[in-house]
Amino acid sequence: MTVAKSWASVAAVSSARRAGRDPIALAVSVGFFAIVASVIATLWRTAAHVHGGSVAGYTAVQLTWYLYFAEAAVTALNPRQIELTGDDIATGAVAVDMLRPASVVGLRIATEFGRCVPRLTASAVVGSGLALITGGAPTDSVGLLLALPSLVLAVLCNLAAQHAVAGAAFWVRDARSAWFLYQKLIFLLGAMLIPLEALPHWLHRTAELLPFVTMAYAPARLASGHVEPPLLLLQLGWLVVLVAAAVAVFGAGERRLQVVGG
Amino acid sequence: MRPIAATMRAAVAEAWANRSAFWTQLAAMALNDLVWVVFWVLFFGKVGTVAGWDRTRVLLLLATVTTGAGIVLGLLSNARRIGQLLVDGGLDAALALPVRTLPYLLVRRVDAVNVGDVVFGIGLFFVACHPTPERTALYVLGATAGALVLIGFLVLVGSLSFFTGRSEAGDLGFQAVILLASYPVDIFSGATKALLYTAIPAAFVSAVPARLVDHLTVSDLATLLSAAVVFVTLAATTFAIGLRRYTSNALWTRA
Repeated sequence: MTVAKSWASVAAVSSARRAGRDPIALAVSVGFFAIVASVIATLWRTAAHVHGGSVAGYTAVQLTWYLYFAEAAVTALNPRQIELTGDDIATGAVAVDMLRPASVVGLRIATEFGRCVPRLTASAVVGSGLALITGGAPTDSVGLLLALPSLVLAVLCNLAAQHAVAGAAFWVRDARSAWFLYQKLIFLLGAMLIPLEALPHWLHRTAELLPFVTMAYAPARLASGHVEPPLLLLQLGWLVVLVAAAVAVFGAGERRLQVVGG
Repeated sequence: MRPIAATMRAAVAEAWANRSAFWTQLAAMALNDLVWVVFWVLFFGKVGTVAGWDRTRVLLLLATVTTGAGIVLGLLSNARRIGQLLVDGGLDAALALPVRTLPYLLVRRVDAVNVGDVVFGIGLFFVACHPTPERTALYVLGATAGALVLIGFLVLVGSLSFFTGRSEAGDLGFQAVILLASYPVDIFSGATKALLYTAIPAAFVSAVPARLVDHLTVSDLATLLSAAVVFVTLAATTFAIGLRRYTSNALWTRA
């Protein structure tokens, strides 16, 4: 257990260092985040201004903070992670990971998490600056503080879920197209593009029952000034479930993996 | 032109060879685009109109951008990879052939995923955008001109890799123009809006072509066609100048 933990922490720290040592790639990914988040925040802010200052219970300022944090939580990850992990499984490259005395999926999640940390940090800082400039000061600083651990939990939930989905490649060999659809589920049911409260009632209720809300909505809702600590508990609960699902899928898949060639 | 046509036929055949994968990818993209329709329906269901845009106008915008971008990213798929090809030395295989390098590169690869965009865009236009013979002709003209602007822009930013030695600017340019073209241009103002008509010509990829379908004006048409000519010319010139200073990184497999 200690060996496995140390493998995971080494993987996370070393990949975070590697990502931090490429400032141009980091700048490009944060630049992309800034463009995406600014566009969608502008859209909702304009809508709020046109419609008496608020939409779905959010003021223009709250919507601005909401959208920058929702985008930060999602764009910190490689959007094609499912495809990459699925390719590693389909090509047999994952067999190399199985030689290590540690959980394959644990190691992969730790590595990807480490890689996300510089992006997540930079996106949160840049996003806060842009939200402050374009929207205004946050309506509740406690909510904003709670949003920080929530961002981390959002990334972990997302990574665990992506690995659980990518694990399907052990059986179907080609999980490439899945990332497209998975991303769109986060966009809508995760409330990244549209706050949960703006969805029709039935869709709102459905989304609340699914894990996608932990990946964008939770940090966004907190950053928008809604001090709702239970959201952090919800994220923790789903994290346990999603990690267990990823471990189960990889465990079953590893037992049936056959790699031809070398 | 014959070698280029033959290369394009080969690229189409290559994409078509695995038919189940072709249809799966095409369907995945169509489903992906459908989510955007759902988003816009939900958004305008909540807010009514924003800056003169409503659900009908945005669906026309979406039909135009998916068609135009699908033509470029699906049928001329290497357009978005020019920078990466230059940085990896992937140009070498093309340079060894007795064909013009840029046209060859552009037609060399077909991406089935983005062909799904074209199919979706056409379908959306006929289902949700009140097609008449006149509107259909303007839609085809607008999407084609938008595609020319997009291809010019992508080759232009990709060719910057000849001078910088890195491909990130091209990647960021690609992401930015596609993203910005997918939203109503009138939600932006001031310098940002000016940017969409100049340095990142997203307005000419979607908003202006969509406006032509609803309300044809000579000035809009002339501006759109001029933008297409300008960006294609700039792209071809920048690529030609850059090619003279190209040195290989000797990876032969990605052209």
